[in-house]
Amino acid sequence: MGKATVIPFGPQHPVLPEPLHLDLVVEDETVIEAIPQIGFIHRGLEKLVETRDYNQFIYVAERICGICAFGHSMGYAETVERLMGVQIPERAEYLRVIWHELSRIHSHVLWMGLAADAFGFESLFMHCWRLRERVLDIFEKTTGGRVIFSVVQVGGVVRDIDDAQLAEMKRVLEGIKDDYRQICNAFLKDSSVKNRTVGVGCISHEDALAMSMVGPFARASNVNNDARCLGNGGYGKLADFQPVLDAQGDCYARVKVRALEVLQSIDIIEEMISKIPAGDIAVPVKGAPAAGAETANLVEQPRGECYYYARGNGSKFLERMRMRTPTSQNLAGMATALAGCDLADVNMIVLTIDPCISCTER
Amino acid sequence: MGGFKLGKMTLGSMFKKPETIMYPIEKKTPPAGLKGHIVNDVDHCILCGICEKRCPCSAITVDKPSRIWSIDRFRCVQCGSCVRACPKDCLTMDPAYTPPALQKHVDEFEVPEQPNTSKREKPVEVVDEA
Amino acid sequence: MAFAIKFAPLTVEELPALAAAKKADGWRFVQMLCVNTEDGIDMIYSFMKDDLLENHEIKGVQKGTAIPSITGEFLEAFVFENESHDLFGVDITDIAIDFGGNFYALAQKEPMTVISPEQQAAREKAKKLAAAKAAKEKAAGEQAPKTADDAAALEAKLAGMDPVKAAKVRAAMEAKAKKEAAAKQAAVDEKVAGLDPEKAAKVKAALEAKAAREAAKKKAAEAEADEAGAAAEEEGE
Repeated sequence: MGKATVIPFGPQHPVLPEPLHLDLVVEDETVIEAIPQIGFIHRGLEKLVETRDYNQFIYVAERICGICAFGHSMGYAETVERLMGVQIPERAEYLRVIWHELSRIHSHVLWMGLAADAFGFESLFMHCWRLRERVLDIFEKTTGGRVIFSVVQVGGVVRDIDDAQLAEMKRVLEGIKDDYRQICNAFLKDSSVKNRTVGVGCISHEDALAMSMVGPFARASNVNNDARCLGNGGYGKLADFQPVLDAQGDCYARVKVRALEVLQSIDIIEEMISKIPAGDIAVPVKGAPAAGAETANLVEQPRGECYYYARGNGSKFLERMRMRTPTSQNLAGMATALAGCDLADVNMIVLTIDPCISCTER
Repeated sequence: MGGFKLGKMTLGSMFKKPETIMYPIEKKTPPAGLKGHIVNDVDHCILCGICEKRCPCSAITVDKPSRIWSIDRFRCVQCGSCVRACPKDCLTMDPAYTPPALQKHVDEFEVPEQPNTSKREKPVEVVDEA
Repeated sequence: MAFAIKFAPLTVEELPALAAAKKADGWRFVQMLCVNTEDGIDMIYSFMKDDLLENHEIKGVQKGTAIPSITGEFLEAFVFENESHDLFGVDITDIAIDFGGNFYALAQKEPMTVISPEQQAAREKAKKLAAAKAAKEKAAGEQAPKTADDAAALEAKLAGMDPVKAAKVRAAMEAKAKKEAAAKQAAVDEKVAGLDPEKAAKVKAALEAKAAREAAKKKAAEAEADEAGAAAEEEGE
């Protein structure tokens, strides 16, 4: 055995879109230990809740992360509604689920493109992002924005999707499905992809439980903590929801879980479109959260479960707003997965937890 | 197992129409309701200042004594709060993006004195103006 | 499946035992957060099992109190514990991966404990609103000794400040009240302008009557509060 060496990985690294630093303790070519560090882009968004009233903060919440923008605005709005005891119209719940699942598709397809790029499959990367563009076009037509939508408000949503647009959305999604199946085929059956992912960075079911992992990262180790199962908001109206699980716990299983979740999301959207009731899209919200009132909420975002906490102080400004994002929960699991892997596989493993550092630091 | 699983799709794209457009020459028609920029119909504005109050990023300033309504387009995040809050419906979201600029500047609009205080008719739907 | 949220109190001494019990029972750690309040920092530890989300709350942790780390049981808590240390200045001992205050690159130490003027204003406004509400209840015949206390507290606070500042605050408050009144008038005028003259006159009269009634009520409440305040001051002396 060779001498232990410490190799710094990041914060600037070709595979990382965001600054994450790892201290890799390496012996020969094997990683013995990995110590993650974040903290390069703390922006103090939680502090901003003191200077923006609860209606305005929704636009700050959206900007926590570019990819889960809709999820954050929806999670925040749900939390404040729960704090103030507001019941939103059913149509608004359905619309939120439709947009949320669309953003899951766009997030997962983006991630698959990045993963393909990480193991050097450039044309697969291009095809993934080509498909994602169609989802972004749906967003552009229905919300007026491509990344930041600003369609959620406390008490409902601000824009309706009419029947013609819903039918159009269904048609586009059918088109995506065909192309997507071919991409899935490449991801799950191609030998060059399998060489890089099968058996790499394994996390056992027990470890996943012990590390309290969340999201697709945990579901690949057969741990079901999909917050959609809790049936919050529109998710309670789904006829049958079974989370995608896999027992292998390696990088391949994580790719597979995400790949299948895209198809599941398309099915959810189609079900929602066929069931959406007519009616109002928002209720007026008056007053302010009571002093000392507090509540918590869980939302399943593309990267995993996100925890929200809000406390009122009797004014229009919240006393405290807290978002616990999936990546901060998965960092410990990532360090475990890295221990014992090959140095060349580090970027693949880091990518498969789908780290979102801006979310984590806020 | 086996490689070249993406072959069909890759070869197929050689004979398909390109997904991209030749951008500066050819431009996409913006869909109705795209969040481009805020337009104020000054003839109906009463300088009430509600938009200024609702703006989450303090981009709008209303100066009632000198009758100036101004917006800092570099601060504006196109959230549309002002459009929804406007009591006279004189604010609208235009689907054209603001052009890039070399320097930050604030757009100022003079609001004329008007006896007409009737509510402006809500625009039916924003028409493509590309 | 029904999602349930529970909030429960906790003390610093009970924390290690709670973490061990949760671990043994197969709960998962969800998160830990801090809230900066007037009487110390509230720390909330959340655990989840099946559909039950339990939040255990340690109220009012003072600066310098050592909090035992739970990273021995739940390693993933290291992110939150380092964060609490950097942002709130909570002293947490024996963190498994301790960055020693270098977890976040910050321009200022413990930024989340700084009370911004906006937050201060919001808190005071909320207190005032609560006081006004209590006064209203009192006027309705219910016993609400809290109002007097609050008003007295405000008065005492003003008295405690240096006179120039107090005068400024009072002037600002008065100016605000005047401004609000003016705005109200403007709103009324605007409302009236759109209507036909006969109706407008009626509406105007009704609005004026309403304003007069409100003013009378307010005056009564104020007088009461003043009296109570004076009484409290006398007692204090």
